[in-house]
This record gives sequence, C-alpha cells and structure tokens, in this order.
Amino acid sequence: MAGLHDLFFDPNHPTLLSGCARAATAEEAAFRVQYPNSTTRSSRIFALDPAAAEAMYAITEDPWNNAHFLTVTATGVTASTRADDLPLCHPDGSAATLESEIRDADVVVLLATTGDSEGAAEVIARECFNRNIMCAGLALGGGQDQPGVDRVVNSMRRFARVLVVANDTDYIPAMLTALRA
Amino acid sequence: MLRKEVNELLTQTDPETPMGDMFRQYWIPALLASELPEDDCPPTRVKLLGERLIAFRDSKGRYGLMDEFCAHRGVSLWFGRNEEGGLRCPYHGWKYDYQGNCVEVPSEPEESGFCEKIKLRAYPLIKVGDILWTHMGDKENRPPEPEWEFATVPAEQTYTSKRWQECNWLQAMEGGIDSSHVSFLHSGSLKSDPLFRGAKGNQYNQNDKKPVFEVVEADGGLYIGARRMAEDGHYYWRITPWVMPSFTMVPPRGDHPMHGHFWIPIDDHNCWAWSFDYHPTRALTTDERQAMIDGWGVHNQYVPGTFRPRQNKDNDYLMDRDAQKRGESYSGIWGIAMQDASLQESMGPIVDRTKENLVSTDNGIIMARHRLRKAVTALRDKGTPPPGRTTDHQMVRSAARVLPPDQPFKDAMKDDLTVRPGVKQTSV
Ligand code: FES
Ligand SMILES: [Fe+2]
Repeated sequence: MAGLHDLFFDPNHPTLLSGCARAATAEEAAFRVQYPNSTTRSSRIFALDPAAAEAMYAITEDPWNNAHFLTVTATGVTASTRADDLPLCHPDGSAATLESEIRDADVVVLLATTGDSEGAAEVIARECFNRNIMCAGLALGGGQDQPGVDRVVNSMRRFARVLVVANDTDYIPAMLTALRA
Repeated sequence: MLRKEVNELLTQTDPETPMGDMFRQYWIPALLASELPEDDCPPTRVKLLGERLIAFRDSKGRYGLMDEFCAHRGVSLWFGRNEEGGLRCPYHGWKYDYQGNCVEVPSEPEESGFCEKIKLRAYPLIKVGDILWTHMGDKENRPPEPEWEFATVPAEQTYTSKRWQECNWLQAMEGGIDSSHVSFLHSGSLKSDPLFRGAKGNQYNQNDKKPVFEVVEADGGLYIGARRMAEDGHYYWRITPWVMPSFTMVPPRGDHPMHGHFWIPIDDHNCWAWSFDYHPTRALTTDERQAMIDGWGVHNQYVPGTFRPRQNKDNDYLMDRDAQKRGESYSGIWGIAMQDASLQESMGPIVDRTKENLVSTDNGIIMARHRLRKAVTALRDKGTPPPGRTTDHQMVRSAARVLPPDQPFKDAMKDDLTVRPGVKQTSV
C-alpha cells in the first residue's frame, strides 16, 4: 500500500476542503452565483416554404428574446438569386430584406419541409457563410417527404455548420428555447 | 438553456419520479458478472435509481437482486451469510431467497407460516454477456431481454468495465453525444492512446478542426454525424448513435475495437459509467485487452478494491500541468475516460442548465433532451412505452466512412449503422 501514499499525497494540493475551489458538499458544488453570464442574442429564423412558415407561425407569439421570424414569400428563388432580391416578409406581412435582417444576427436558423426551397436555402446560407454567422438548418418531417427533405439537406450541407433532420415541428420551439432565441 | 423544471424532470430518477419510471421500463446493466463469480460467493451492494440493493448468487447459481435491508430490524444484508439457497441475515437469522421471499424466521414456529408474510422488494437479475442486467419496473411490462451486440458476441471479442462517476447521469450521458468536444479535449489522446492511434481517419480529425454536424432522429433515439473534409471534396463522416435512454457509441477508428457506454443513475448525484469495447468479427488481442485493463481508451484505472477511479476529485484527477504545457494532453488529465469525467464532475452534482449558453453545434444534446422529455411525458401522461426497449432499436452500430458530398449519411450508411452479425464494422 506504500504506493497509495505517493499517489494521493500531493504537496501542491493541500486538502483544505471548502478553503479552496474544491467544494466539500453537494450544496457547495451545486451553488452558482446568479449573475447573468451572457447578453441577449439576435436570432433570425427563416421559414423557406409555406408548411415551414405554418409551423413557425404557431410559435412566433411566444415570448422570445430578440428573435425575428421571417418567411421566404415567393417560390422560384434560385441559387443565383441575389441576396437583395430574396423576397422576405415579417409575420405581419411587411417586407424585409436579407441584408438588414442578418446584419446584426448572431444565429440564423433555416426551417424547411420540402425540397422546393433549395435556392432560398442556398442564398441565405451563403450570405451567412460570407459574414461568418452560424447557420443551422432544420429539415422537418424526416419521416415523410424523404426525397424532398434530402434535397434541402443536400443544398444546405455546403453552407450550414449544423443540420438537423427532425420528425416533428415541436422541435422548433425546443431548439429555439435551448439556443436562447 | 433548459428551464429549471425540465432539468429536474430529466435528472431525477428516484422511485415515483417520471424519469425514474422511465428508466424502470428498460433492462439496465446492474453489475459486472465478475462481481458475483461463483455460487454462494459474497453478496455485493449496488445502488441503482436511488434504491440501495443487495445482489447475490445462491447455491444453485441463481442471481438475486433485492432491497439491501433485512425486513426484521433493518440490518444490511451485505453482512449476511450466503448459504444453502439463500441469504441469511447475521443478526437474528432471517433468511431470504433469490426472489426476496423470506424463507425462514428462526424465532417463530415453522408451522406458523409467519415468514410467508415477509418479502423484500426484488428484481430479476440475468446474465447477458459479461453483465448482469436488471429490470426494476412492472413484471407485466417487462421488455425482451437485451441483445446489444457488445453483449452477445463471443466472450473473447468483448470487454466491459464500469466506474463510479460523481455527477448526475444526464450530464455524463450528454458527454457521450457531444461530438464537438473531441477536437479539443481528447486531441492529445488520438496520437498516444494504443486503442485509438494509427487510424487513417485520425488524420482527417487532425486536419479539419471544424467539423460540421448533422443530427438525424431515429426511432430509438438519434444519429449524430460529424463531417470533416477528406480528399477530393469528399467528406469523412463519424456517426455516433444514441439509443434511449442512455446508450451511446463512439465511432470506430481503423481496425481498433469499437466502444461505447451506458450511463446509469446510481442516485441523482452519482452514476455508473459503463464502458465496453468489442470487435464484431475477431477476438481482442492480448495487447488490446491488457490496454483496456490498464485503463486506456474509454476505460480507466481504479482505487484498488473499488470502482472509484484512481484519478478522482479528491486528488484533482492527478492533474499534470506540465503535460498540458507540453501539448501531450489538452486538459492535463490522463486518459480519455477521466478527461470526460473530470469535467463533467466539475459541473457539480446536477449542472444548472438554466445558465448554459448553447450554440447550434449543441443540437445533438438539444435533440436528445427533447426526445427524453417527450418520452418521459408520454409515459407519465398516457402510459406510452418509451423508445429503445425493443431489439430493433438496439441493433445499432457506430460507423466511420468517407462519402461523396451529395450523399446523406443516413441513407448511404444505413447498413453500416446496423448490426450485421459476422460483418466487420465500417471504419476508416
Ligand atoms: S468550452 Fe464548453 S463547457 Fe466550457
Ligand atoms: Fe469525451
């Protein structure tokens, strides 16, 4: 047992229990000072198709921190559409521009349910990539329109740092809450 | 960020808690089979889901797992005599069989039948692989016996260890699906650990420190894919499966054995970290097995005679600041298992998730919590059995593979992520 002493006795680490940062009790170890450790983030959530917009509108009224919810309003957007020309609107129907929306964004989330919005996904994701904004893609309905979802996922894959393929729309609020949106 | 009440919902597993009820829906690892090596061997204490239990193996080789304390005056049956088909309390001689039935109360006349009124809460204990498993829920809802691949391959192909981790099960389990820490915390070990080093895939890890993540829901849980650049615009994919509630696997490297974990609550402030290593098609080599015993890879070293890691919070995990400076170890802690455990224990017994600042690359963790929450509320409110109980959900493997850029891993690697008896793991 001589080895044990060498193992556990370290002159640089005298055991002073609560005298050092090694909390001695569970209460001490669990205690956290309740100062905030972050400031509010700016999150921008883009619904790329009508079904995604519907799922998004179900939660836009919830109390969010500084989240903006936006919808891509026209189909037929292609990857070569200029960022300025991307047709976007707020939940109240007023128009928005990609530039003004993501200028101060910290987090961008793309929501899609079908493959019809490949072009818009690429325009937004590319813009985020160029501006070093974290862009996450969320493909909804993993179970259903499989080839369509794959097309969205494939188009976002080159630009988004994170892609999620979720079965249900209830993941939208779960994820946004977790991200402090 | 997770609201306080959800954090409590997911982390509390004592009897009568929703998450406790959920864990009681599964067969969970209770003991290493080697802890009860022979008939009439000494009994052993184990705490699971907040319940203090005694496990023993009777004269006929039957395994028992029951309330640790004698129904007479509450003595721990760890002091008991394991003899003649039962465990006898050393205080006044009450004797229990492997199902917790009291079979003898020496002070009472045998004919009185008094002992039939006494029964300790008991659970089944079955041996599958190197592990004794228990199901702590209702007998009527007992799931099929576990068929995880690591536990069903021939004994020479597999090795399992367990260690006591001094924090809640959820923060330990979340480490198992937190793919984004590997590029940092474990970066030193990729080069030096005998159970990791030398694989071609390691170079992709070294060359591309900014992996991209893809999280895909599966019926039994999740697949978390981490993608790095390979040659010619191809992607190197590493896929981590998570099966509910707490089974995770690490993507393989080269022909090294593949490994994974179970994270099982002891109580709300402690858990068992089970770590296994197996090769689907060949025996482990002597060197590999010895490396596992010596604490390499996902295993660890122990305080002799215990399941407490040799590196623990009382000795600051034998932190080596010089190794950290020399670049041998990112955190200064030796060994992959203790690199994880040290940080997870440092969060406190149950981490305060209201203070977290999660980012998009944490989506694997966010999704796992979401799935757990849904399953736990569906069980509580509607009695719906949770995913992960059935064999089809358990037939998963981790995998690593290089794919062209336009192929979603969930389709291209479907077979790789499924147990195929007699077929080697897909690995780079
Ligand atoms: S950097 Fe992730 S916990 Fe500190
Ligand atoms: Fe780790």
